[in-house]
Amino acid sequence: MEFLLNFVERTGAKAMGWWSTSYGVLAFLSEVLSTLARPATWNRATLDTIIKQIYFTAVQILHVYLIYVLAISWVIITITLSTARDVGLFDAATEMIIRVLLLELLPFLTALLIALRSGSAINTEVALMKVNNELDALSHCRVEPMQFEFLPRIIGGIASVIGLTVLGSVLTLILAYLSIYGLSTSGFAAFSNTISSVFSVGVLAGVAVKCVFFGLALTTLPMAAGLETPKKLFMVPVSVLRGMMRVFLALVLIEVVSLALEYI
Amino acid sequence: MPGDQAALVSPDLPLRANLSARENIALIPLYQRHYSAGEAARQAQALLEQLGFATIADKRDPDMSPSERFVAKLGRALILRRPRLVIERPGAMLYDIHYPAFLREIAARFEDTPANWEVFDFDWNRPLYD
Repeated sequence: MEFLLNFVERTGAKAMGWWSTSYGVLAFLSEVLSTLARPATWNRATLDTIIKQIYFTAVQILHVYLIYVLAISWVIITITLSTARDVGLFDAATEMIIRVLLLELLPFLTALLIALRSGSAINTEVALMKVNNELDALSHCRVEPMQFEFLPRIIGGIASVIGLTVLGSVLTLILAYLSIYGLSTSGFAAFSNTISSVFSVGVLAGVAVKCVFFGLALTTLPMAAGLETPKKLFMVPVSVLRGMMRVFLALVLIEVVSLALEYI
Repeated sequence: MPGDQAALVSPDLPLRANLSARENIALIPLYQRHYSAGEAARQAQALLEQLGFATIADKRDPDMSPSERFVAKLGRALILRRPRLVIERPGAMLYDIHYPAFLREIAARFEDTPANWEVFDFDWNRPLYD
């Protein structure tokens, strides 16, 4: 009987925990949306902070990102071409590369890189701001933390995922072309045809929406986790741990749902 | 104490740690009065000069001494231009100097400002003000 009571108690506590976390994230998201919709949000100061955030999130890691994309794309393209040649499907290699790399792998890996670098930093910073009362101090000065601290990071995160994915995709396409046709321009027409046949408006919109969700997840979830942190310094690592686990699960969920919608 | 009536200088309201003293003060004209970043920074710098601490403009919170940190907080409170300026537990912020004299000296520089300065301190520190 005691075992049953403990089990019910533990399950109830877990359910309540999940409910309170989900509610916190949804409440935070609704506040983000209402701040986005307020015309007063869109002043010069907000735009300047957004530009700074895009610089910190995307521009600062550009060289690392391009090397990372180059290495991964080269390996995947080489494996795909070699396998396609072995099984006699070399004609379909371009489409396979585009579908695997450009539509699925690159957006996911871009989001993962930004989550590891910026998501963890955002989580730590927000948790420290909460613990040190910096958010209260900003509110006392009537500088809304949502407008000054959170919204620019969210928009910066989304813009960075989209921007870096586009850059990485262009680099991958160039690499794929060079791997298949070399420096000759003879394959340009066939290559362009394959690209245009894969990238329909619907597919492009799907990738864009996926990138927006990735950007949203890797910024809002760490912020929400940071805001949940109790005002105790030793809880900051726990907050980052929780926030980053949620980000990872959310990124995987978004990828799985997008794959399911596209192929099932 | 209504938020729009009093500007607090308190150990519980720290500076934004990743911003310099000038940027902390400039946030207010930038976000409340919609000045350009350049003009907001100029106003913050002018205030720090009036406070006699222009050299801390580029320092961030962890690099400041207790009195420098206090002055940056005071600058942030002054630029809010609220009718009351409340300094709460100054001893907790200015633990390295004889703070009543320091407060008097700084307040004298702002005699012509309309804000009413109030100091809230522990009763047992009263002899320090005599």
